[in-house]
Amino acid sequence: MQRREGIAALVRRLDNEPVIANLGPATFDLYAAGDRDANLYTWGAMGLASSIALGVALAAPDRKVFVTDGDGSLLMNLGSLATIARQAPENLVHIVWDNRMWYETGGQPTHTSTGTDLGGIALAAGIRNVARAATVEAFEEALDQAIREPGPWFIHVDVEETGEPRQRPKVIVEENLVKFRRTFTG
Amino acid sequence: MPRIWSALHVPDLPATPRTGLLYNPPAMHWSDVVIESLREHEVWHATYVPDAINWQVLSKLEADPAFTVVPASREEEAVGIAAGIYAGGGRAAMFMQSSGFGNTINGLAQLLTAYRIPVPLFIGMRGGLSEFNEVQVPSARPIPAILDTLHIQHYAPQREDEVQKYVDGAIELAYASRMPVAVLWYAQLVGAKRATS
Ligand SMILES: Cc1ncc(C[n+]2csc(CCOP(=O)(O)OP(=O)(O)O)c2C)c(N)n1
Ligand SMILES: [Mg+2]
Repeated sequence: MQRREGIAALVRRLDNEPVIANLGPATFDLYAAGDRDANLYTWGAMGLASSIALGVALAAPDRKVFVTDGDGSLLMNLGSLATIARQAPENLVHIVWDNRMWYETGGQPTHTSTGTDLGGIALAAGIRNVARAATVEAFEEALDQAIREPGPWFIHVDVEETGEPRQRPKVIVEENLVKFRRTFTG
Repeated sequence: MPRIWSALHVPDLPATPRTGLLYNPPAMHWSDVVIESLREHEVWHATYVPDAINWQVLSKLEADPAFTVVPASREEEAVGIAAGIYAGGGRAAMFMQSSGFGNTINGLAQLLTAYRIPVPLFIGMRGGLSEFNEVQVPSARPIPAILDTLHIQHYAPQREDEVQKYVDGAIELAYASRMPVAVLWYAQLVGAKRATS
């Protein structure tokens, strides 16, 4: 499956729930699925998407919070999994699009290409619910369960890159932050 | 012989040189002043990687049900979590040791500064007066210059009777400017850690 199919499936299920997107393709594909105020796009701070999402989940415990991460970025901040496990926010759903490469910088293979298992690491870190998917159907099933049942959830998704060109979102990050925050403060 | 970490050693403060007035310590410990300031400004979350200086604040925050305190694995993560708390409608302060400052720089630049996310940063400064661990020196010394280069304002109260003014002021400045603002705790205020044998 492709990341954009997964993101489309996610966005179809959302009302005002926040989504935090990793830099690069995860941000571009989320924007392409339709801009919304409750999307927080990151353009840097590589590795921190799941940390930001943990903060949002702690500040807004009544809303399900989604983060769409990349394998290379999560590998840069594996400690985040242990921090999330310790806080155990029931409203956090951490989705990782594992394309086994640093796609944004030219497709260099990451450590998941040689067998490092991010789902296994999440489980060992103490994340309560870990699901795996390699098809859109399996991903939707995992996602529906993660929406229904308390987390924290970690959904490890195998994705394939097609190499299609992407549009860069027209986003001013300060505006993005202000709009995103207003979905909580009104 | 093994080195044993002692409690913080607070050096004797001299009489104020110009006025000759004796130093008059305020009734509240500096750590309680920080807590009351956080409460006053509705900063209900704190993220941290521990250090012995900030622990004087954090241990009391953890015991106070009004606050949610989040320990992180690494300082940059603590910056990310604090940013997320603000993005999600709350307010968070972040606490670290000077050794951990280097771990935060990309988060300070590409997240807090780029997105204009206000986070009060409290940095326990090692590497100054009475430091015994030489490796603390080169990581602490450049922090003010790095903060200047990042356009992050920073303040360092030297005496207990200055703490309220500095901490209230730094927190107000952070939210007014929508930027991180740092408060640096030097040995002049909080004492130096002693290695005893
Ligand atoms: C701290 C830091 N190091 C390196 C980079 C360069 N960089 C940008 S995107 C990226 C790859 C991200 O990989 P992954 O999270 O797997 O996402 P993908 O591009 O595969 O979707 C890298 C290394 C960066 N932006 N920031
Ligand atoms: Mg990748």
